[in-house]
Amino acid sequence: MEETDDRRHAGTVFNIQKYSIHDGPGIRTLVFLKGCALSCRWCSNPESQRPQPELAYNKGRCLGLDKCVRCPAVCVRNALSRSPDGTLDIDRARCQGCHMPCVDACPAEALIAYGKTMTVEDVLAKVEQDGAFYARSGGGMTLSGGEPLYQADFALALLREAKRRHLKTAMETSGLARREALAEAAPLLNDVLFDIKHVDSRVHEAQTGMPNDLILANFRMLAEEFADTRIRVRTPIIPGFNDDEATISAIAAFLEPYPRVEYELLPYHRLGTQKYVFLDRSSPMGETALDKTKLPRLESAARDVLKERFRT
Amino acid sequence: MDTMPCDCLSPQERRLYDAMAGKEDRHRKSHARVFRLLERFEGQKPRIDIERALYFTQSMRETEGQPLVLRWAKALRHIAENITVHVQQDQLLLGRAGCDGRYGILYPELDGDFLDIAVRDLPTRATSPATITPEDAKRVVEEIAPYWKGKTFHEALNAALPPEIHKLTYDDPEGLVSRFIVNETASFRSSIQWVHDYEKVLRRGFDDIRREAQEKLDALDPLSAGDYCRKRPFLEAVIIVSEAIVLWARRHAALAREMAGIEYDPARKSELLRMAENAERVPALPARDFYEACQSQWFVQMFSRLEQKTGTTISNGRMDQYLYPYYRKGKEDGTLTDAKTIELLECMWVGMAEFIDMYISPTGGAFNEGYAHWEAVTVGGQTPDGRDASNDLTYLFLKSKREFPLHYPDLAARIHSRAPERYLWDVAETIKYGSGFPKLINDEEVVPLYVSKGATFEEALDYAVSGCTEARMPNRDTYTSGGAYINFAAAVEMVLRNGRMKKYGDRVLGVETGDPRSFATWEQFWDAYVQQHLLFMKAAFIQQRIIIDLRARHFAQPMGSAIHDLCMKHCIDLHQPDIPEGLDFGYFEYMGLGTVVDSLAAVKKLVYEDRRLTMDELLAAIDANFEGHEDVKALLRTAPCYGNNDPYADAIGRDIDRISVEYGDKYSMKDLGIHNDVRYVPFTSHVPFGKVVSATPNGRTEWFPLSDGSSASHGADVNGPTAVMLSNFNTKNMGYRARAARMLNVKFTPKCLEGDQGTEKLVAFIRTFCDLKLWHVQFNVISRETLLAAQKDPRKYRNLIVRIAGYSAYFVDLSPDLQNDLIARTEHGAL
Repeated sequence: MEETDDRRHAGTVFNIQKYSIHDGPGIRTLVFLKGCALSCRWCSNPESQRPQPELAYNKGRCLGLDKCVRCPAVCVRNALSRSPDGTLDIDRARCQGCHMPCVDACPAEALIAYGKTMTVEDVLAKVEQDGAFYARSGGGMTLSGGEPLYQADFALALLREAKRRHLKTAMETSGLARREALAEAAPLLNDVLFDIKHVDSRVHEAQTGMPNDLILANFRMLAEEFADTRIRVRTPIIPGFNDDEATISAIAAFLEPYPRVEYELLPYHRLGTQKYVFLDRSSPMGETALDKTKLPRLESAARDVLKERFRT
Repeated sequence: MDTMPCDCLSPQERRLYDAMAGKEDRHRKSHARVFRLLERFEGQKPRIDIERALYFTQSMRETEGQPLVLRWAKALRHIAENITVHVQQDQLLLGRAGCDGRYGILYPELDGDFLDIAVRDLPTRATSPATITPEDAKRVVEEIAPYWKGKTFHEALNAALPPEIHKLTYDDPEGLVSRFIVNETASFRSSIQWVHDYEKVLRRGFDDIRREAQEKLDALDPLSAGDYCRKRPFLEAVIIVSEAIVLWARRHAALAREMAGIEYDPARKSELLRMAENAERVPALPARDFYEACQSQWFVQMFSRLEQKTGTTISNGRMDQYLYPYYRKGKEDGTLTDAKTIELLECMWVGMAEFIDMYISPTGGAFNEGYAHWEAVTVGGQTPDGRDASNDLTYLFLKSKREFPLHYPDLAARIHSRAPERYLWDVAETIKYGSGFPKLINDEEVVPLYVSKGATFEEALDYAVSGCTEARMPNRDTYTSGGAYINFAAAVEMVLRNGRMKKYGDRVLGVETGDPRSFATWEQFWDAYVQQHLLFMKAAFIQQRIIIDLRARHFAQPMGSAIHDLCMKHCIDLHQPDIPEGLDFGYFEYMGLGTVVDSLAAVKKLVYEDRRLTMDELLAAIDANFEGHEDVKALLRTAPCYGNNDPYADAIGRDIDRISVEYGDKYSMKDLGIHNDVRYVPFTSHVPFGKVVSATPNGRTEWFPLSDGSSASHGADVNGPTAVMLSNFNTKNMGYRARAARMLNVKFTPKCLEGDQGTEKLVAFIRTFCDLKLWHVQFNVISRETLLAAQKDPRKYRNLIVRIAGYSAYFVDLSPDLQNDLIARTEHGAL
């Protein structure tokens, strides 16, 4: 029974976000799947990169170990101790692979588990709660990540089951996925939001850790072979990487032969920096911010090539 | 620009920052007249005008012993004859209830026993202050207040409440201070919200109403004592009051003519002459054009304000419906332009903005902070035969709302399942402007409920929004006094403290349900809550029973009755409790739904199910107001919360709601003769109600505001606006009918609604609200940064308008408590 199999299929999800209105048509629910093969320096969801669940610590919410010692008490690996300032010190080398009882013990929600195992049934039960809003707005479920196809079997099971329930589906993708997985996902998707960050593969590799040839090939396949799937390409504008007119013009020129494809620019934001801190990592971008005065020129570079297919 | 807090602003915010930068308002040129009118009173602290109270008192002193309705009519005639009439510079409409500028008037028949204290405290109180001249203060203390000592409605009520009800109602023997447990609201208004049948006056005029009363009077059975004692005084009162309002209008006409005679600007001279002609004709005779219709309506509405203190200001009814024939005629014969239409309406909005609905009692002031007003203007909806009612005038009202710089009038848009896209788009664009208008009322909930309570479809489909969130059928509905506001968070506290409250010491106020440490199961705890809940319900209904009986002996409303079909048919005043064929829709208020649900969910889950906390630990933490128990406080906050579409919390919410609707279904018609339905609409009172409740098991610290209306506790709704709506839906008991309005506040950041795409998604959101059959929703579209900046520098943000509770107010007029409350309401940003 294929149907039952899909519903029981489990994967790692790190967030489900209701009332999302900037990622696909209508009012949507975003399902964030964990794991990504890229390691973009500007990643605003650092908790999405690794496939396994991770422990994070929001020091600002912690009551301090003078007032509460619930978490070290339950840690069997002795990974949690008191730091000199009274907050929690996590020994990252020791802390791994357990079910994180410390998160359940924490009364203040200072300890956070990024990623939990959910079945397709669990996820869709959450997604369907907002069914009344999808019906009126043309919205539905958007898979996001990480890279949703990093957990390809889980993502495909989610999409198949969503289609059986007549939900509208969309997926945000980095494009870095097995060709077969993308080809299988495409007919199950009403909309694809496809990231193209740079057309020069060497520059791409330097900043994301991977070349872009598979990404571009995947894009071509999607655009050429799946006429029923709407495609919107998005470029995150990253300072020092692609925030120049030549780069944007080159991406636009690459897209120009595909008349169905829409294009959008997403200015870099620093909302993710705090999460690096929670994970005891440092943000590779540091304090770098985007010079927003550049945006109009980048927009007109894209518009020159793509005309009304460029969306703001 | 450095003062701008974020890169995406609502048009209201943009307008404010433009003003700070010294730029001219973009609507100023096209609205020159109203801008001139507004500048004269902008930022003024309201003044108290005592004339209404003075002439009312003079007449009442002379008429003692006569039937009340007749006394009231004579008092109104005395006012009409003597009150100063004004013709304001630049204004195109005539008719005010008091002096120039922002003003309020007094109703000593309600709470005259407070007046001497009030006159002392009003100028300096924190909530809704007002000024009074020393001479006027003296006249209040010497000429007005003494007459009312021992005669006011408030005193009668205070004396009539049995001790076990009194102690839940008032904190002192005189009943001057509320306990904020089962709080009565009947003594600071003569009735709950009301809408007149203005259309009838426009169509017939008061001369015709007087003629009808005279014919009825002539036809009375000369041998009948009933006719003589009951019907005759009523009909005589209608005749007197019909003449009084006409006399008052014509005094305005005479003054306008006099001023025209000495006016030197020819344009203004001709305006004054036209105004005089209008006031010579209406409201005596039928209105012939749009201008006369506006003038006639305005006279009726202002005279109504002189007549009595209708709860939260008299409402305006379905203006886009009853004014439409006059508008269309004017457009067709070329005598009216859209610009002129808007100018006349905005002259009316200015008049509304100048009138402050004054609350004398400190309780009333705290209930209605920021000079609350609900002169609801209703637009859209359906016609009596169920067709979409929107028309060209509807769109002009919405346009005016976007361009007029003040939070007047209170605009309500009716929504139904087939509302045209154009209408919803315009409504959404108006909401995006950011000052909280219009509020939305849902036909798909209101109409079937009213039919289930006895209205015909025709009547129910023609309802008008009244006051904050209520709906009225002006010729079928009769009305009652304000109902109880019940602090159910206090019920939770009484479970924890065995019938007592920290604020009130050892005194037993509720049911002694026992030491909570002795409750072995959640069921026992729940049962204790139910006992407290039912005690409060019973107290509220006893209050209401007494109030209904008293009201008829204290108030009459001859003008309002003269334009009510049933009152005229049966020759009975609208304040009488039993009006044949009438439907009486009252309500009581559930205060603190989110606080209570979250508290009960925390106890159920953490103490009884997961056993992560003992009752001892919980009580110790609550007694200490969580000081030194921060871990317990934090843990409590992890429990399921109302407002997140969480089935665990919402199931408790539905159980709580069921206790109320079951009680209402069982007892309201039987014991009170009215529909006394549960409502979730706090105005601003969740702030004072919170001030008597100590720490609660949802981690709320003592004296902090309760959750408001049917919104979530502060910051508890973390799943976005769809979840808040669904929790509302989940906690309703659709199988019962004893329910009335639920108020829902949703706050968006401007970014969230940016562009056409943002509008489109807001429209979809509104359509879903309609599908879910929720009664009401309103929006604040403002960034948190702007509110914080306004708190820091109120002078600069004098014009910032925010949505409070069924009404909008200047942010800087609010007390710091309420400002913080507003800032703390969860903001749904661009996710």
